[in-house]
Amino acid sequence: MVLSWLSKTPKSDLPLDVLVTPPLVTTLAVVLLPFAGAVLAPFAVRFAGERAGYYAAAVALVCLALVARLASFGEAGRGTVAVEWLPSLDVVLALHVDGLALLIAFLASGVGVLVFTYSAGYMHDEPGLAKYYATLLAFMGSMLGVALAGDLIALFVFWELTSVSSFLLIGHYTDTASSVSAARKSLVITVAGGLFMLVGFLLLGWTAGVSGEQTYVISALVERAPEIREALDGAGLFLPTLALVAVGAATKSAQVPAHIWLPDAMEAPTPVSAFLHSATMVKAGVYLVGRLRPLFLPESLPHVGNWTLLLAALGLLTMSVTAILAVQAVDIKELLAYSTASHLGLIVAGFGFAEAAGAEAGAFHVLNHAAFKAALFLVAGIVAHEAGTRRIENLRGLRHDMPVTAAVATVACLSMAGIPPFSGFYSKEFLFDAAYETAHAVGGAAWMFPAVAVFGSVFTFVYSAKFAMLFWGKKPDALGHVHRPPLAMLAPAVALGGLVLAITAAPQAFVDAIVGPAYSATVPGDAHGFSIPALKLSPPLVMSAVTVGTGAVVYQAYDRLHDGLREVLTAQPRLRANIWYDGAMATLPWLSRWVTPAVQTGLLRSYAASVVGATAVLALLGYAAAGVALPVPTSVGAGLTGAMAVVVVVAVVAAVGVLDAPSHVAGVLTLSVLGSMLAILYVLVDAPDLALTQLVVETLVLVLFLLVLHRLPAFYGDADRGRVVRDGALAVVVGAAVSVTVLVSTAASPNGALARYLSERAGLPTDHGSVLVDWGGGGNAVNVILVDFRGIDTLGEISVVAMAALAVLTLIRMRDRGETP
Amino acid sequence: MTQLLLALALGALFSVGTFLVLRRDVVQVVWGVAIIGQAANAYLVTMGGFGGFAPVGGGTTDPVVQALVLTAIVIGFGTTALALVLTYRVYEEHGTIDVEELGTGGDT
Repeated sequence: MVLSWLSKTPKSDLPLDVLVTPPLVTTLAVVLLPFAGAVLAPFAVRFAGERAGYYAAAVALVCLALVARLASFGEAGRGTVAVEWLPSLDVVLALHVDGLALLIAFLASGVGVLVFTYSAGYMHDEPGLAKYYATLLAFMGSMLGVALAGDLIALFVFWELTSVSSFLLIGHYTDTASSVSAARKSLVITVAGGLFMLVGFLLLGWTAGVSGEQTYVISALVERAPEIREALDGAGLFLPTLALVAVGAATKSAQVPAHIWLPDAMEAPTPVSAFLHSATMVKAGVYLVGRLRPLFLPESLPHVGNWTLLLAALGLLTMSVTAILAVQAVDIKELLAYSTASHLGLIVAGFGFAEAAGAEAGAFHVLNHAAFKAALFLVAGIVAHEAGTRRIENLRGLRHDMPVTAAVATVACLSMAGIPPFSGFYSKEFLFDAAYETAHAVGGAAWMFPAVAVFGSVFTFVYSAKFAMLFWGKKPDALGHVHRPPLAMLAPAVALGGLVLAITAAPQAFVDAIVGPAYSATVPGDAHGFSIPALKLSPPLVMSAVTVGTGAVVYQAYDRLHDGLREVLTAQPRLRANIWYDGAMATLPWLSRWVTPAVQTGLLRSYAASVVGATAVLALLGYAAAGVALPVPTSVGAGLTGAMAVVVVVAVVAAVGVLDAPSHVAGVLTLSVLGSMLAILYVLVDAPDLALTQLVVETLVLVLFLLVLHRLPAFYGDADRGRVVRDGALAVVVGAAVSVTVLVSTAASPNGALARYLSERAGLPTDHGSVLVDWGGGGNAVNVILVDFRGIDTLGEISVVAMAALAVLTLIRMRDRGETP
Repeated sequence: MTQLLLALALGALFSVGTFLVLRRDVVQVVWGVAIIGQAANAYLVTMGGFGGFAPVGGGTTDPVVQALVLTAIVIGFGTTALALVLTYRVYEEHGTIDVEELGTGGDT
C-alpha cells in the first residue's frame, strides 16, 4: 500500500493536488536501480569482460540523471514519501528528498560514474570482476539509500548495507592477509558503531512515542524537535541518545579514535578507495550529523551546548590528530587516507558549531572534499599504476612524464590546503568564522576552538604541499621511465579536477544550486541566505594567513618533522589507536577459549542441570516477582477419593523404588508399576481412553526395555556421594517448583467454557441437538476431537510415531550399511 | 479445587525424574525422561478436574485435556522407544553407556 505521509500531517493546509512531495517512483528507482544493476553485473562481465566498467558507469549515469530529475522539481519536489513496511511496529520505508539528500546523492552517483569509468582501465587483468562490479554497484545503491532514507530504520538498514558492501570491497583481494584484516577491521568498527546508533534511533522513536505519536520518520521528528528535546531531557536521555548516535557517525566517518580502519582500507583497489573516501561510506557519518543537526541543536543559540561540546571538539581533535598522522605517512594512499579523516573532522566540527557559518562550512566542504579527494585518489592510482611505487620518498618530479595528471593534482592540492581562491579555501574560511564567532561569544576555554582549527590546518597545508611536490622538483634517476596513463583513467581525474576549478571559479553558483539547499536542511528553523563573502580583512582571513605562513615555514622542515613523528610513534606505540584494537581482537578469542569449555562441557548432566535448574528457578522467581500468593489448601484435594489417593501414593513409592533399583531389570519392572498406577488413576478420574492408551503403551515399553536390556552392560553404580547430594538438591528445587505450580494453577481453574460447550453437545441425539454426533459421528468427545476436529494434527502425530519406528529399524538393522564412522 | 496431594506427588515424581536424568547410566537417563513425561501427563489430567463423568455421551469431565494427554502418551512412547534404541546403538558403537565416558573420553 502506497501512501503519502505528508497527506496525513494536519500541518499541511494545502489542497491535495498541489501537495509538495517528490514522485515516489523516481525516488524509489534511484535507490533500487543500482541493486538491480548489481544483480545483472555478472552477466555484463561475462559478455563484455573488462568493458563491464562502462556498463556499471551507465547504471550510475542513469541514477545521476534520476537524481537530477528529482532536483529539477525544486521546492515542489522536496518532502517525504513512504511505503508501508512494518505497520505493527510503526516502521515505514520512507524516502526523503531535500537539499542535503540531493547533495549526497549527486556525489554518490556522479563520482560513481567516474569511478566506474576509471575502473574499466584500472581493473585490467584483475581477478573477480563480476564480484567487484556487483558489490560496487550495491555499495553505490546503499549510499543512495542512506542519502534518501526518510526514516531512521530504513537509514539504519542502508547504513549497515554500506558497511557490508564496503567489507567485501576492501577485502577484494581475498588471498592477501592485509586485505582481509583491513576488511575485518572496517566491518568490526563500523558495524559496532552502527549498533550504538540503532539504540540511539530506538530511543528517539520511543521518545517521540512518549510525547505524542511514535514515529521514526525523520522529517516528522525534526518538525517536533523542541518537544522531543524536552522529552529526552525530561527522561535524562538527551546526552546518552546524542552520544549513541554520535558513536555511529564517528565510526563511519573515521573520527578519532575510530579512524584506524580508514588507512587500512587503502588495501582495496584504488577506484574503491577513491569512492569510499570521497563520496560514499565516510560521507555517511557526516551526512548523519548534518541530518540530525536540526533535531538536536536548539534554534536559539546557546553557543556551546552539548551538541557543540561533543561534535565540534571531536571534529577538531580528529582534524588535527589525523593531519599530523598524514605528515608521518610513507605511502601516498596512506597520506590521503589520513587526510580524509582530517577533512571529515573539519566537516563534523563545522556541523558541530551552532553558528550558521558552521553549517555552511560543513555543507560546502562535503562537496569540496568529494571533488578534490576523489581527484587525488585517482591521481594516486595513476601514479602507483604507472610509476610502480607508492612510497613518498621515491616519488618526485613526475610532471615531465604525466603533465595532465600533475595539473589535476596541483589544483586539487591547492584546494585541499585551503589556498585562496581555491574551493577548499571557502569552506575552511566558514569553519574559521564559526570557531572564531563561538570563541568571541563565549570566551575563556572556547578560544581553544579557533586555536586548534588553525593548528590542524597548518598540518593540512604541510601534507598537501608534500603531495603536490610529488610532481614538482627534479625527478630521481631511480624512478626510471613512467608511462602515461590510459584515457579511461585520466579522463575521470581530469573531470574531477575540472569540477574543483569550476567551484573555484564560481563558488556562488554551486552554493545556489546544490550547497545552499543542503545547508538549509541542516539548520534548525529558518535558514538565512548563504552567500560567499568577498575577500576582506577579517579574523577568519587572518587565521588563514597564519595557517599558510606557518605551514610554509614548517614545510621547510618536512623531513625532520616526518622522521621525528615516526620516531615518537615507534617509541610510544600506545599512542596508536591500533594497539587497542589489536588488543581487543586478541582478547576476544582468548575469552572464548576460556568460556566455551566452561559452558560446553560435552557432558549431558551439565546441560540438563542448567536447563532444568534455570527453568525451575525462573518459574519460582517469576511467582515471587508477580507476588503470587501460595493458596492455602482446605483439603487434600477436591473430588479426590480414597482410591485415588492410594493409587497416587503407590505411584510415588514406585518412582522412589526406581531410584533404588539394584539392577536394570528391577528398575524397569518398578517403572512399569508407576505406569500401571497412572493407568488406574486415569480410570478413576473418568478418562477411559487415556487408561486404555496408557495400558497399551506401558506394556509395549516394558517389552521394549526387556528386549534391549539384556544386550546392555550391567548397572553403573554412582559412588560419588557429593554428586548425589548436589543432584538431590537440584531435584528438590525442581520438585518444589512443580508442586508450587500445581497448587497455584489448580487453585485458579479456567472457566471451562470449551469443555462445557463440548460436553453439552455430546449427549444422545434426542437430548441436545446432537452436534457432536452430526459433526463427528460419535458421542465420545475425546475421540471426536482426535479424529475429526483436529484430524490433521493426529495424522501428524501418527507420522511422528512412524518416523520413530523407521529410526528404530534403521538404528538396529542397518548398522553395517551405508557410511560407518 | 486446590489439589494438595497431587501437588506433592507430582513434585516428588519430577524430583525423581530430574535426579535420574543426571545419572551416568544412559538407561537411567531414559527412565528419568519417561517419568517426567508421565508426571506431566498426570498434571494435565489433574487440571481437568476430578469428580465428573467420563466425556462420553455427555459426561462433564474436560475432554480437551484428555485429547491432549492421549496424544502426549503416544508421543512419549515414541520418544522412549527411540531413546532406548539409541542407547543400544551407542553401546554398540562405543562399548559403554556411561555418559561421562562418552562426553569426555577420547573415543569420538
